[in-house]
Amino acid sequence: MSRFFRAGDDSSSESSTDEEELYSASEEEEEQEEQESSEEEEEEEESSDDEAGPAKKGLSRFLVDQAESESEESEEEGTTKVKSAKDKRFDELEATITAIQNGQKINDWGSIANEFDKLNRQVVKLQDGGKAPKSYIKCIAELEDSLNETLAKQKVTPKKMNATAARGLNAVKQRIKKNSKDYQSQIDAFRNDRDAFMESDEEVAPAPKPTKVRFHEAPLADEAAEDEDKGFARVDKRGKAIPFSPESIQKHLRAIVESRGRKNTDRNEQIRIMEELNKVAETPYLKIRVLQTLVSTRFDLGVGTATSMPLEHWKAAEKELSALVSLLEAHKDHVVIENAEEWDDDDKTPVLGSDDKYIKIPGSVVSYIERLDDELVRSLQNIDPHTSEYIERLSDEASLYTIILRGLLYYETIQKDASLEIPQESLNRIIQRRLDHVYFKPGQVVKILEENAWKQVSSGIDSAITSRDLSGDAEQLIQTLCNYLFNNSEGIIRARAMLCQIYFLALHNEYYRARDMMLTSHLQENIANFDVATQILYNRTLVQVGLCAFRRGLVYDAQNTLQDICGSGRQKELLAQGVMMQRFNQVSPEQERLEKQRQLPFHMHINLELLECVYLTCSMLLEIPLLAQIGSSPDIKKRVISKTYRRMLEYHERQIFTGPPENTRDHVMQASKALAAGEWKKATHFIHSIKIWDLMPSAEDIKAMLAKQIQEEGLRTYLFTYAPFYDTLAIETLSTMFELDPVKVSAVVSKMISHEELAAALDQVTNTVIFRKGVELSRLQSLALALSDKASALIETNERTLEVRTQGSANAFTRKDGRGGGQRGGGQRGGGRGGARTGGNPQRQAGGTQFTGGALGAAVRG
Amino acid sequence: MASAAAPNGVASSEYDLMLKLAQHLDRHMIFPLLEFNAGQLVDEESGNVKDEVKAREIMQAKYSLLKKTNMTDYVANLYCDMEGLEEPPAEFADRKQKVFSQLQKYEQETSKIIELLERDDVVNNLRSDKVANLEYLKREHEVTMDMVNALFDLGNLQYSCGNYADASEMLYRFRVLSTDNDKVAFATWGRLACEILTMNWESAMEELQKVREVIDSKLSQNPLAQLQHRTALTHWALFPLFNFEKAREPILELFFNAGYINTIQANCPWILRYLAVAVITNRGRAKNIGVHQKQMKDIVRIVKQEAYEYQDPVTRFVHALCVDFDFEEAQRQLVLAEEVLRGDFFLLAHADDFVDSARHLIFESYCKIHARISLKDLSARLGLDADAAEKWIVNLIRDTRLDAKIDYKGGTVVMNHPPSSVYQQVIEKTKGGFFRTQVLSAAVAK
Repeated sequence: MSRFFRAGDDSSSESSTDEEELYSASEEEEEQEEQESSEEEEEEEESSDDEAGPAKKGLSRFLVDQAESESEESEEEGTTKVKSAKDKRFDELEATITAIQNGQKINDWGSIANEFDKLNRQVVKLQDGGKAPKSYIKCIAELEDSLNETLAKQKVTPKKMNATAARGLNAVKQRIKKNSKDYQSQIDAFRNDRDAFMESDEEVAPAPKPTKVRFHEAPLADEAAEDEDKGFARVDKRGKAIPFSPESIQKHLRAIVESRGRKNTDRNEQIRIMEELNKVAETPYLKIRVLQTLVSTRFDLGVGTATSMPLEHWKAAEKELSALVSLLEAHKDHVVIENAEEWDDDDKTPVLGSDDKYIKIPGSVVSYIERLDDELVRSLQNIDPHTSEYIERLSDEASLYTIILRGLLYYETIQKDASLEIPQESLNRIIQRRLDHVYFKPGQVVKILEENAWKQVSSGIDSAITSRDLSGDAEQLIQTLCNYLFNNSEGIIRARAMLCQIYFLALHNEYYRARDMMLTSHLQENIANFDVATQILYNRTLVQVGLCAFRRGLVYDAQNTLQDICGSGRQKELLAQGVMMQRFNQVSPEQERLEKQRQLPFHMHINLELLECVYLTCSMLLEIPLLAQIGSSPDIKKRVISKTYRRMLEYHERQIFTGPPENTRDHVMQASKALAAGEWKKATHFIHSIKIWDLMPSAEDIKAMLAKQIQEEGLRTYLFTYAPFYDTLAIETLSTMFELDPVKVSAVVSKMISHEELAAALDQVTNTVIFRKGVELSRLQSLALALSDKASALIETNERTLEVRTQGSANAFTRKDGRGGGQRGGGQRGGGRGGARTGGNPQRQAGGTQFTGGALGAAVRG
Repeated sequence: MASAAAPNGVASSEYDLMLKLAQHLDRHMIFPLLEFNAGQLVDEESGNVKDEVKAREIMQAKYSLLKKTNMTDYVANLYCDMEGLEEPPAEFADRKQKVFSQLQKYEQETSKIIELLERDDVVNNLRSDKVANLEYLKREHEVTMDMVNALFDLGNLQYSCGNYADASEMLYRFRVLSTDNDKVAFATWGRLACEILTMNWESAMEELQKVREVIDSKLSQNPLAQLQHRTALTHWALFPLFNFEKAREPILELFFNAGYINTIQANCPWILRYLAVAVITNRGRAKNIGVHQKQMKDIVRIVKQEAYEYQDPVTRFVHALCVDFDFEEAQRQLVLAEEVLRGDFFLLAHADDFVDSARHLIFESYCKIHARISLKDLSARLGLDADAAEKWIVNLIRDTRLDAKIDYKGGTVVMNHPPSSVYQQVIEKTKGGFFRTQVLSAAVAK
């Protein structure tokens, strides 16, 4: 009964309004369709359940079923009798709506989905004038609200829906969006004033109706022309070139933004649309918006970790970004910032209010720039570095650098205004990017890069952080950038800035400054807590410092610094310059992908062969005299400087036939052999014939330095090896043998004697070295010495253990550490405390952390 | 400020540390340094000033140095000297008046508390607890915090007037009463300055120790301030180090402390000169040879490490002798070093001592390495003539019980280096073991 009553009501209202709406609805709808996408998203969620609930509570589920079955039956026969058929359909509609409402109450989205489909089918038939029944509108509006609510709820609560319900939910979600565009205006009207809306039809109030219609009419007249465009625009999506108008831009953009991330969106098509839009965009606001969307869509092309974005799109994105920055430079009242509000109204563009200084547009320039940078790196990773393609691609870096610089300038200008609340972080990020592009380059290259970049910037603009004048002085530039980051950032960015500066200093032969910074940074203690990229940078920096030490002739420091990286045998991995073949443990594809992603582009690589060559050469210069000195004493195993080197040497010695050296390693090994035999000239020859030295700047100096070192170490090795067979040796002879100055020879010998490495004395009158006899130890004696060494080492370990346990609380265990000279861990312990020892520690390697045994040790000595 | 003139040529002026030291010293402490520089310009025999321009420069420096202090009379005189005026301009009188009135004001404010502190019955009631003391004074004698703080201000003013002894006394009293930690720390620095300037070394050392504690404890959260304070303390400590015999050991110990040696290396490597001189001249004095040897080893290591940053004849001497074993170079540097020492405010008195000790050092390492040395050659190295060298060596052999003989006929010194026995080595190595284990077990038991 109630059915009838209601239906009658509905129908009368419908009929009364039908004529009025007839002429407008068809056009109006088209317009609504265009609008839908934008408005729908911005709709604020209104709580609708209050309204919907009480009215329908009375209906039971049973009734719903009945209604359903009825509706099914009646569908066929309903066509003949016009009036009653319409009534019937209304009944069915009502029933379906109730079912949906019931479904909403118990969150049964599966059934809602079914009912919703049915509802839509039904409503088409009822919709003779284009205007849907009010109850239908009410239903879908409420349904949409409850859908949003459920979705929001689902995000918060981890509780999963059952499968059918979830599927239903998704189906409804997709359909409702499509569906509700058709009835947008009605839905809006409903939402604006639901009582009035519902009443308007129930009480047959003709007065509000026309006004409402007229309200829709008004803009319509204005937009008549536009509507035509839109009509075409839709066609255009299917691939026909049609003109765009500035007014429609925002709607297009919104449509594109919405389709983002969905399947089956043709991005290329979208890009084409936007390129067109960009041409017609007139106001800076629209231009900026179009460029923003365009650039992000281009970036979407390169989704997926393996593939990089296509070259032409990268170039286009770069152009557009640069246009964007130029626009922002030109129109100071437009700012793109992260914390801006979204603009909702597609019909109007925001205008500068009287009390606003800026038109704020949401977006992040720094993110675009970062993305552009990442894409370039990714494509460089994928290109074979030995082709000309790589070099061509690399030339794009200059334009990228220009954008980074301009981006930086942009951020500097907007940061000046405190009211914009630009986070310091954005500026830091962009400076970090800039630093990333210069730190590994020689000063000359940086200079060119800088000059070219500044040329692109209009001459009126200057940077507060790095002024234009700085571009000529790369070192100053790096220092300024790094100092800025030290002062304004923390954590990883700060650490990275520090490492970049150290890297740059090391690259430019500023060994001591680089080393001091490295030590004062204390990074070696907590580098393990940083992310992998920073760890890689740390490794690179460490290696660069080591190479720098080598170039300065500081063999010991070089070896020590390089030890960690090169001694591990995993240089490639540690420097991210190639994926290691894992022999034993299987690598999951996931890991492999990550690893691949981390790889540095080729132009940033440190030459691994050169690195190995330096490391081995240094090891040779240190190890060969040590091996000669140790001879056959029992603690031979204890004193190993480089395990890698030793292993190679052993391997080399096992070979029965040794051919002429072929690679770097062979050269160093043969040189080692020659050096051990005292044939320093041969060793020098081998080392000098290594080709890779030519890659070093001022290779000749390095060769000369090496020759000198080999001479000295050769002399030392010779003395160690042959001392037992001589009583006296004339300084003269040694000096001619090793072609060293007699003063130098006696200095070397003096040093050895003084450090108790050599049991000998100089005779000033005859200028000879006198070797003492009776210092060779018997087996038992040397074992006794080794034992006593171990005993004192044990005590020391105990002390240290206790110290760790009682950290801070017991002052008795404070240790006096010297400043570590580029070495970590108590590499050499100042063990030469006791009396004279014939085979004492090589004190010449002092200069590092001297472990003095702590306060306890002092107490013992005191 | 002033570039100091060198009486014995240009060499030492390039090694003059005046500018570097001055950055870390107090105004009042720079003054004696300037005085010294001025003194060096005066020819000892005739009393004439040798270099008018330089002297004027120093005078100018003195003036600008003291202008900001409240030693108005002296500044006025200085100004007259400089400008050749008979009567100082009126502004000095004004200043003097102002300072005087200020002084009076503070004295009034503090008169009560000072009087109180001189009364036995009050002093006897004071305990070690500062808060309780203050509470007591407040209750019994109506002493307020402002009065205590006035003590600090008065001390400050008196220091500024050059009245160091009184200033020291005021600051001492302030420190007894005040609970404001920051101000107490300032007062401690102030007292240290006062004691140094009144050459009251014993109490200066006490204050030094206190300042050190403050730096170590309070500033441990602020590495930069710690570094700066340590740098200042290192510089201030130079005064007692070279003027007070007993201060030597503790200050050397202080300098070789990890924190301070790092400070010196990082912030003021020129201190290495003083450190090296102190260690080298300390050789005969050190009670403990082990400690001296260790210090020597440390200084050699640090000089070597810092060679890229700082060099002067003294450090070069150490480098040549102990790192390169280049005795000729060491000899050359010694001559230069002597000049430098004679032009240095702190080291002047120790120049002879240093040269003597340095010779010892050369000889020692020479003997260690050589089995036979020609007397003639040695005398040349030591910078002595043959007879004096012979005498010197004989003395040395007797003093140090060196195992060496002079072969007069051959004109050589013959060393005997007995090889150290393996058993001796084993004994040496295991000697400390028992004691260390004991300490360890005691520490575990704690």
